[in-house]
Amino acid sequence: MTNNPLLETKSIRKSFGGVVAVRDVSFRVSHGEILGLIGPNGAGKTTLFHVIAGKEQPTNGTIHFKSQDVTGLRPDQRCHLGIARTFQIPQPFSQMTVFENVMVALHFGAGQHTGSLEDEASRILARVGLDRWASEESSSLPLGARKKLELARALATKPTLLLLDEVMGGLRPNEITEVMATIREVRESGVTIIMIEHVMRAVMGLADRIIVLHHGELIAEGSPAEITRNEAVIEAYLGGSAHVSS
Amino acid sequence: MTAPENKKPLNNLLILIGIAAVLGVVPLVTQEAYFLHICILALLFGALASSWNLINGYAGIFTFGHQAFFGLGAYGSALMSMKLGLSPWVTMWIAGVMSAALGCLISLPVLRIRSIPHIAIVTLAFAEIVRIVCSNLTEFTRGELGLWGIPPFTSFSLPLIGPVTFDAAHKVAYFYVVVLLWLLIVGITYWILRNRFGFGLRAIRDSQIAAESLGLNLTRYKTMVFALSSMLAGVLGAFYAHYVLILTPSSALGIDIMIQIVAMTLIGGIGRLLGPTIGAFILTFGLEWLRGFGEYRMLIYGVLLVAIVMFLPKGLASMRFGALRRRKSTPSP
Repeated sequence: MTNNPLLETKSIRKSFGGVVAVRDVSFRVSHGEILGLIGPNGAGKTTLFHVIAGKEQPTNGTIHFKSQDVTGLRPDQRCHLGIARTFQIPQPFSQMTVFENVMVALHFGAGQHTGSLEDEASRILARVGLDRWASEESSSLPLGARKKLELARALATKPTLLLLDEVMGGLRPNEITEVMATIREVRESGVTIIMIEHVMRAVMGLADRIIVLHHGELIAEGSPAEITRNEAVIEAYLGGSAHVSS
Repeated sequence: MTAPENKKPLNNLLILIGIAAVLGVVPLVTQEAYFLHICILALLFGALASSWNLINGYAGIFTFGHQAFFGLGAYGSALMSMKLGLSPWVTMWIAGVMSAALGCLISLPVLRIRSIPHIAIVTLAFAEIVRIVCSNLTEFTRGELGLWGIPPFTSFSLPLIGPVTFDAAHKVAYFYVVVLLWLLIVGITYWILRNRFGFGLRAIRDSQIAAESLGLNLTRYKTMVFALSSMLAGVLGAFYAHYVLILTPSSALGIDIMIQIVAMTLIGGIGRLLGPTIGAFILTFGLEWLRGFGEYRMLIYGVLLVAIVMFLPKGLASMRFGALRRRKSTPSP
């Protein structure tokens, strides 16, 4: 690794009271990579995303993005630097239309705009396959469309690093294939991606590299093929008796 | 700039211009003092509720102390014009700036709170502090005895129209001033809604964490909307002071002002451009009309309020527009 990584976390720890949700996690993400982040429920994946995106401050450790220490920055500041994220539980602006939701991201995100924001918004909606929903109030969307809206809004901020928190969850199989194609295309356009995903078909098909969290600790790292053979990972997912309940 | 989704505010703009035009001719039809007085009050409260609608209906921050800014503007402008001899035309804007400053101050604790009931209580407590301070600063405000001797707006002369005089007998001039103030506030709201600022406010209302993650600086936006909303309330308070010419802490700073604002906004339609104005007219005129029912007046009033809130939770403004929009959007895919 001679090149500077795009994102580097050093010994990230996040505790809530006595509970340690993320325990000393260090990893790097290179430019243009798709990194899969997997682990059983409650492993601390979303908390790690919160820490990277700035929603939560880490109890310990630092985050460097584009070689800059971003640890103390607010989410909006990190967004302007180029970190965008989706939420596992969609957070649409429910009293706005789908189109307006994307407009918010275009207005406030990191992008420099030359053309009209409206055209840009239409393009993004078409890109994620939401164009026919454009003038619907976002509260009326089915779950799959809400997930796509999360993706559309994040893309509209013009990110360098995109954090996808289970965008495939709740999608139908054909939609998963569609969104996988969109994600590939986003990467082709130069965006680096970290994706939390439970849909194995998606994460194994897309990720160049996968890291595995279990009880807040990073227990494995490798190519998708390596991860599927990794014993610690199999143990964590299928459960040794001590871990079944987690 | 016009996206298909912005049709709703565009429709409202035409209505806005229509209403302003109709209001403009009212004094040409009748100059009956009592009727104009009720119109002035309705417009004043419509404008005041609209200024609150900015912060509550659009930014979704449920404050319950808007009367503090109204009262500060009223007392501030009255005292400045009395003690410093400045023209009310000048002091009303200074009072607005004072209210904006106070708004920024109270936004500081509110910025840290996301729970609706807590924000309501903090802002209410703050408004009560302002009221109590005002009623105890007797050598300055004369407290509950009431501040009187407030100068009316300075009269002036307009090229084509001739002298414009402001005194209790001449309500026409006051009427036009309040129409302009109302237009100013609703116009600002209309303009904001179509801009980046408006997108920001509505985003804050719907999801603060999403807004923040998409690059919106919550602190800056909340402080800005607090300052703006308070300033507008302050200017309206100043108008009130130079119109009624007597102020008491309970008339200018009492919680019943806030209750009126909430009732008008809910009935007319929260988060709707003209909702608060519609609510203000219905409540102000409704209460006058119900005088014929004698002691049953408040009972009927209460029942009507409950019925509207129950059956039209989005307010009267949602009723017609909702139907219009549905009819329009069905044929186009």
